[in-house]
This record gives sequence, C-alpha cells and structure tokens, in this order.
Amino acid sequence: MSAAALPAAGASSANASRGVLLMLLLPGLVALVITFLLPLIWLFRASFASSTMGAFSGGDWTVQSYSAVLFDPFYWRVAWNTLVLGFNVAIFAVILSYPIALFLVRTESRFRGVLTALAVAPLLTSSVVRTYGWMVILGDRGVINSTLQSLSLTGGVIRLTNNSFGATVALIEILMPYAILAMLSGFGRLNPQLEEAAAMLGANRVKVFTRIILPLSAPGVLTAALLVFVLAISSFVTPRLMGGGRVFVLGTEVFNEATVTLNWPLAAALSVMLLILFSSIILLYQRALRALET
Amino acid sequence: MQSNPLLGRIAWNTLIALLYLFLLAPIIVVFIISFDTRQYLAFPPESFSFGSYVKVFQNVKFISAFWRSLVIGAIVGFVAVSAGMLLSLSLVRYQFRGKAAVGFLILAPFLVPHIVLAVGIMLVIAPLGLLDSYPGIVLAHLGITIPYTVRTITMSLMAVDTRVEEAALVHGASPRMVFWRITLPLVRPGLIAGGVIAFLISFDEATISLFIVSVKASTLPTEIYHYLEYSTDPQIAALSVILILISVAVVMMVEKLIGLRKAL
Amino acid sequence: MADHHVVIDNLVKTYPGAQKPSVDHVSFSLPRGEMLALLGPSGCGKTTILRMIAGLIAPTSGAIRLEGRDVSSIAVYKRNLGMVFQAYALFPHMTVAQNVSFGLEMRKVSRAEREERVRKALDLVKLTGLGDRKVNQLSGGQQQRAAIARSLVIEPELLLLDEPLSNLDAKLRDEMRDEIRDIQARTGVTAIFVTHDQDEALSMADRLAVMSAGRLEQVGTPREIFDRPQTEFVASFIGAGTFFEGRVAEPGLAVVEGLKPLRFVGEAPVGSMVKLMIRPHRLVLAGSSGLPNSFTGTVEHIVYRGQMLTLNVRCGGRLLQADLPTHAGVLPEKGSEVTLAVAPQDVTLVGQVAP
Ligand SMILES: Nc1ncnc2c1ncn2[C@@H]1O[C@H](COP(=O)(O)OP(=O)(O)OP(=O)(O)O)[C@@H](O)[C@H]1O
Ligand SMILES: [Mg+2]
Repeated sequence: MSAAALPAAGASSANASRGVLLMLLLPGLVALVITFLLPLIWLFRASFASSTMGAFSGGDWTVQSYSAVLFDPFYWRVAWNTLVLGFNVAIFAVILSYPIALFLVRTESRFRGVLTALAVAPLLTSSVVRTYGWMVILGDRGVINSTLQSLSLTGGVIRLTNNSFGATVALIEILMPYAILAMLSGFGRLNPQLEEAAAMLGANRVKVFTRIILPLSAPGVLTAALLVFVLAISSFVTPRLMGGGRVFVLGTEVFNEATVTLNWPLAAALSVMLLILFSSIILLYQRALRALET
Repeated sequence: MQSNPLLGRIAWNTLIALLYLFLLAPIIVVFIISFDTRQYLAFPPESFSFGSYVKVFQNVKFISAFWRSLVIGAIVGFVAVSAGMLLSLSLVRYQFRGKAAVGFLILAPFLVPHIVLAVGIMLVIAPLGLLDSYPGIVLAHLGITIPYTVRTITMSLMAVDTRVEEAALVHGASPRMVFWRITLPLVRPGLIAGGVIAFLISFDEATISLFIVSVKASTLPTEIYHYLEYSTDPQIAALSVILILISVAVVMMVEKLIGLRKAL
Repeated sequence: MADHHVVIDNLVKTYPGAQKPSVDHVSFSLPRGEMLALLGPSGCGKTTILRMIAGLIAPTSGAIRLEGRDVSSIAVYKRNLGMVFQAYALFPHMTVAQNVSFGLEMRKVSRAEREERVRKALDLVKLTGLGDRKVNQLSGGQQQRAAIARSLVIEPELLLLDEPLSNLDAKLRDEMRDEIRDIQARTGVTAIFVTHDQDEALSMADRLAVMSAGRLEQVGTPREIFDRPQTEFVASFIGAGTFFEGRVAEPGLAVVEGLKPLRFVGEAPVGSMVKLMIRPHRLVLAGSSGLPNSFTGTVEHIVYRGQMLTLNVRCGGRLLQADLPTHAGVLPEKGSEVTLAVAPQDVTLVGQVAP
C-alpha cells in the first residue's frame, strides 16, 4: 500500500517495502561495518600476520606475535600491571562513587538535577584535560606538594606523578562519572519506603544499610565496578601521561607498538588479548549478576 | 551511626561535598592555574592574568588544531546524526528480519574498548592511505558516535505519536511532507542532542585519534597530548578551560533538550 | 446504492499473522450528508474499518467507493478526507491556527485564502481568537474542537471520527455531542463516527451500523435498531431487555415454557424455535391494559430511579425486567404479586434458534 510503505506512515508499516528499509539501513550500516566490524576482523587477521614495519602482509598466517608476547616475561608483567591498575581503580572508584549515587537517588533537594549533571558532566570533558588537571594537582610543584611544603610538613618533594600511583588516582576520578551513572541506573529498586518500613520494624540504621540498601544496590555496584574495570584496563592516555613513560600497561604497550615501534601484528595481537580479557570479564560479570539475582 | 541524627547528617553531607570536590578537583585546579603565566607548572599561581590565554591564541599549532577539531567534530556530528536518524527510523518504525542483529551492531561499539577499535581502524584505513587525513579521522569517529545518536534519536522517535503522522497523511501531506513537516520537527531535540554529543565526543576524543592522526589532521586533544609529553605549562590550562567551557555549553544544551542522564 | 455518496462493499481485513479476519465482509453505504455511527464492542473492528476508509491500511479484499469511484488505489493523502482521532493527534509543535491551516498548505492554498478559511473554521468550532495558542494550552474539549476544525477546513469528501468523545469527561461529552451534530448538520458533510457508546450513537447518528466480532449485524435508523433489532446481539447490545425462547405454534404465537403463549409480530415458520425480546419500558401493569400478553409473578427487587421504577419480577422460573413510570398509580412493592402486560408489536423477534 502506498502510504504504509513509506517511512512516515506510522507503526502500521509492518509489511514495509524492502527498498525504503534498505535505504534507511544502508548508510548507517556501511559506516558501522567500516568503522567497527571490519576493524575487528582486520585486527584479528593482522594478529596472525608476520611483522613488517608499519604494515602487515596479508599472505601468511603465523602465531609469531602471540608467541612473542606469551614467552616474554615483560608482557606478563605488563598484563599483571594492567590487572592491578584495573582492580585498584575499580574498587576505589566504586567506593567513592557509591555515596554520591546514593545521595543523588535519595535526595529531595531541588538542586538534584544540577547535582546529577555536575556528577556525570565530567564525562563530557576531555580526558586529556582532566589528566592534565591531575598533573597540576599531583605534580612535583603541584597543589599537594606545595601545600605540604608551605605547611612545612615535608622536607622534600613527594613523588605523586610519573608512577602508577598518579595514574591510578587520575583514572579513579576520570572513571567515577561512569560508575555514578551505572549506579544511578542500577539503583532503581532502592526506595525510601522500604527503608522506612525496615526502620519501623525495628532495624537500626546500620541494619537498614546492611540488610536493605546494600543488597538492593548490589547489582548497580557490580555493573559500575565492571564498567570502570574494563575502561581502566583499556586506557592509555592517562597511564601514559601520569606515568611519564614509567607505567607499562596493555594500553600503553599497544600504543607503543602501533605508533612507535610500528610492529602492527604485535599491536594487533596485544589488542586481541585485551579483547579476550575484556570478554571473559564481561562473562564473569554476567555470571555474578545472575547469582546475585537468584 | 545511630547516636546523633544531626551529627550524622552533617558528617554525611560533608562526605558528599568532599567527594564532589574530588570529582571536580582537576577542573577547578585547571581553571585556577590558567591565570598563571610561568613557563612551568607550579601551584599556587603567582599572578593573575590572561597571559596564558593570549599565548594560546598566538599558538598557531593550537589554533589550527582547534579549527580542525571543530570542522571534524561538525562533520562527524552531521554524518552521525543523519545515519542515526535513518537507522532509528528503521528500528522504531519497521519490523524486519535481522533487526536484533542490526540493533546489536549499533550498540556493540559501546562494548569494545576504544584502544582495540583504534588499532583495528588504523589497520583498515592505513592501506587506503587515509591515515592522518580528514576522511580517516571522521570515519574513525563515526563508529563510536553513531551509537549515541541512534540512542537519543530513537528515544525522541519513540515518543512521537504515530497518530500525529497519520493525521498529517490523512489531511493531505505526502509521506515526504510528513517527514519534513511533522516527524523531523518532533524529533529535533533528539537530533540536536545526538548531534552535539557526537560533536563533543569527536572534539574531545584522544585515544582513537592518537592512532589515526599525527600532523596534517591532528586534533586539539592529540596536540595537547603531545605537548604534555614534554611540557605542562599553564598554556595548556588556558586551553583546557576553553575546552571545558565548550563542554559545559554542550552539557547544558543536552540537559535542556532531553536530559543528560538519558543521553549518556 | 449506486447513487450513494460512500459505499463500503464487502470489506475484509485480515491482519498479517491473524487467524481470522478482524473485518469480515462488511458492506454499508451512506447518502450525501448523512452521519452514520459505527457501533460495537471493543475489538470488533470499528477502527480497522475507519482506517481502511482513510487509506491508512489496505483492505484484504473488498472495495471502498466515493462518488462511485473506487479509492483503493488512491494514496491516503490524496483521498481528501478529514479524520478526528481518538486522542485528537494534533500537531504538538504547531499553534492551533497552524494545525488547522496544515491541510490547506498541503493543498497549496494561497496564504490569504488560508487565513480566511482558518478563521472561519475556528469560528465554526467556537475557537475564535484561540488560533495563536499552542496545542498544549488548550483544554480537552478545545483540542477536540481544534481537531474538528482541522478536518473540516479542507472541505473533506468524508469526515471520519474515531471515538471522538471518549477522552472527554461526562459533562463535556454531552455538550460536544450536540456540538458535533450541529456542526455536521451545518456543513452538510458526510460523516462516519466510531463509538462503543450506544447513547452516543443513538443520539447523534442518522443511522447506525452495529458490529460484532468483525461482522456487520444490522444497519438502520436509531428507531429501527432499538425497536426492531434483527439479531440477538443487537437486541442485547443496545438497550436492556428480557429474552425468551419459544416454539412457534401458529403465525404470531409462540409457546414459551412456563409462561402463557406469547403473541408477537414477525415472520417465522410454524414449528421453528424463535428468540423473542421485550424491552423493560414496554411492559405495563396489566390492570386495565387489556393486552394479550401477560405475566404474573413476584416482585423480587425494586430500584427507584426518579421517573422510573425498575422491577425484577420472578415469573415462570425467569426474571423479567420492567421499567414502570412512577406516576403509574399504585406501585407494586417488593414481595407482592404483579401482573405485567405487553403489546404483540413490542415482543420483538430477534432471531431463530437452530434446532
Ligand atoms: N495492527 C494490528 N495488527 C494485528 N491485529 C490488529 C491490529 N489492529 C487491530 N487488530 C485486531 O483487530 C481487531 C479489531 O481491532 P479494532 O482496533 O478495529 O477494534 P475496535 O472496534 O476499534 O476496538 P476499540 O473499541 O477497542 O477501539 C482486534 O481484535 C485487534 O486485536
Ligand atoms: Mg478503536
């Protein structure tokens, strides 16, 4: 039917004309295939290619990049560093975000909208900029060191940057908005009436927290932890800048192989391994979530 | 916890305030330091001046990167919104086989680490000679921005009452007219929100950009990154403040149009 | 039927994937200027018919003719119809005047003429001066009027209204009922409106088309439908009544178990089983009426309704409902014995029962 076949004809267009549908889908799908699907396939292929400078040859299949990684203790250390960084960042970001999310869910303040925006808006400021902010705060002549010195609390400079401590702190802050956002969506089931009911049944505030609030917010917390973890283990700008070249994680190594050493198959192999790490953690998370729900 | 409710409340509010301070610390500090003019990073600022801002505006590298980022962001925003609009229409208004797969493909870039995507995109566009070029960086940013435009536009589109479109049809509007006069104006908030978010993501994106561009098509974040590898002087702070202000403008726009929480 | 303005001919609609048709061989027609009500319970296919006429969905089979011309191949936006949607479906991003003007713009009417016609249409629906309001600044009733103005301004071939009153509160509904009737009469537009409210249908329409489960049960004037329902469904759907089953003993006389034989008007072969119906308000106290059909029984239940008294009388094992005017002299009391009577022409034959 003429009208029902066209995009604007409304929900009745169940038997849509193929042509129009194709027209609608094509541009977006082509873009996504080129910028998402194809890159992943290419990545996989390249990880099995032999290394040549700034390119990879299509002909052969070899596992040399993988063996190079797996038999080099350096990469084991890098993987370990990455996991430690991910765990530290995830744990602290979640601990620090939890009160904010709880506050935003429960507050009746008329500034709630503004406060929510303030908590998640940093997401929309460049991570380079915020990393720079942390360089200013933690730097040798930065906010913390100069404050401590002017109070004569320390003699010398305390090294807070160019090490993994700085990278961890900056990443915690940079990823907190994600945690808050995840928790806000996950806290839907929290409901002040439940707390009141529990309180009336004689639970004190500690009990209300441990027996009601914590279990109900657990899925949101778990999601937040996962999100922060995966973002942390795949980050490189912040570890690179805050680490001053002295922090080696998977992200920085991938970048290094891709743009400095120009060993693309190795960069691809590292990326594939990162992706595998990433996927296994998501699978674990889904298990955990299911366990929480039953 | 159960001793004194007032004390508890004060403690709780103080905790929240401190956490907010932590969250906003880098932005606040950057703002303060941007009025310093020394050649090196130090705190507190010893002067209050706009010297660093002046320097930024005299820095040819930054200014040209700024314009490039602006142009790239605008193109990415426009293309992502156009593709997103079409995809959203097909997802919201049509039933077809493979719909779930299309929906997954659109959301999947959310699930893949940017650095992994970055290597993949680099590998794909390098043989095409698109490394360090406008088309290359625009393509690279499309994959990560289309999910956002699809999300905001789909939300707006689902809120459009199809009866309204039918009413227009019955009263004489051709399907094309219905699209331009009814559907498009009604989803405009979603379009604009999606567009500015896509713009901002592209404008602020560093990870993927660093793999794709080096000199000719370098964006502002990549320029800042490379600058920061050697120097951390207050010029960067001034530049950061400008970037932050752009973000704030975008945030307020999105908040007003469809609500920030729904868009992210 | 050929000279009828709107002809619906054997219309069938089976939605994709559905087991049975939602609209099943429906035919009816309207002369120019008539207002027809499409009446039926929820889900019987009223909206589906309206949407097929509008062209928003395609019929599975059958034809729709306007002025003798089959419109099946004409796109929805070229049919020149007006449609008032249940929730009005006004364009939320336009003012009232822009809404009303929309159809004219699509028809490339000049700006000056547009303004003039919009003003007239707004006057017609009593929205004078509200043209610059945003749609969401209107009350429900005003939105309703705006939707009607939007449909009428294009001088449509046919006006379709889908439950136009269902979103209004009771008082406004009565008001708009008269209003719509009045506007339709003044413009002379042919109109079909959908409703599941029998009062609305009876009071507004020239004729009713009663539907059930996708099928057309009966088409007729409100009087015909009410007084001479042809099917049991129509009889029970519109108005209250007591039903009897009986065997025709001789023409116009049926034997009903437990009662005296009932005299009725209507054609039914002798020996067949028939279904008969008596409206409550047709029953009178037997005393002086001298009517041939009478029922004697005990009053089980009385409801006082102002001008009316509703009785439930247990008679020969069944309950008989009767509405008596309260001014009908001595009224029966609960538990007392009464004798009710009814004229043969008020015993309606509503169908045959398959043996
Ligand atoms: N788009 C559709 N797809 C499949 N079945 C549908 C569709 N629209 C309606 N139906 C079915 O067709 C039948 C008739 O629906 P229709 O909307 O015409 O009823 P209606 O008489 O207008 O009811 P109401 O008074 O509730 O509005 C219903 O059984 C309904 O479930
Ligand atoms: Mg309906």
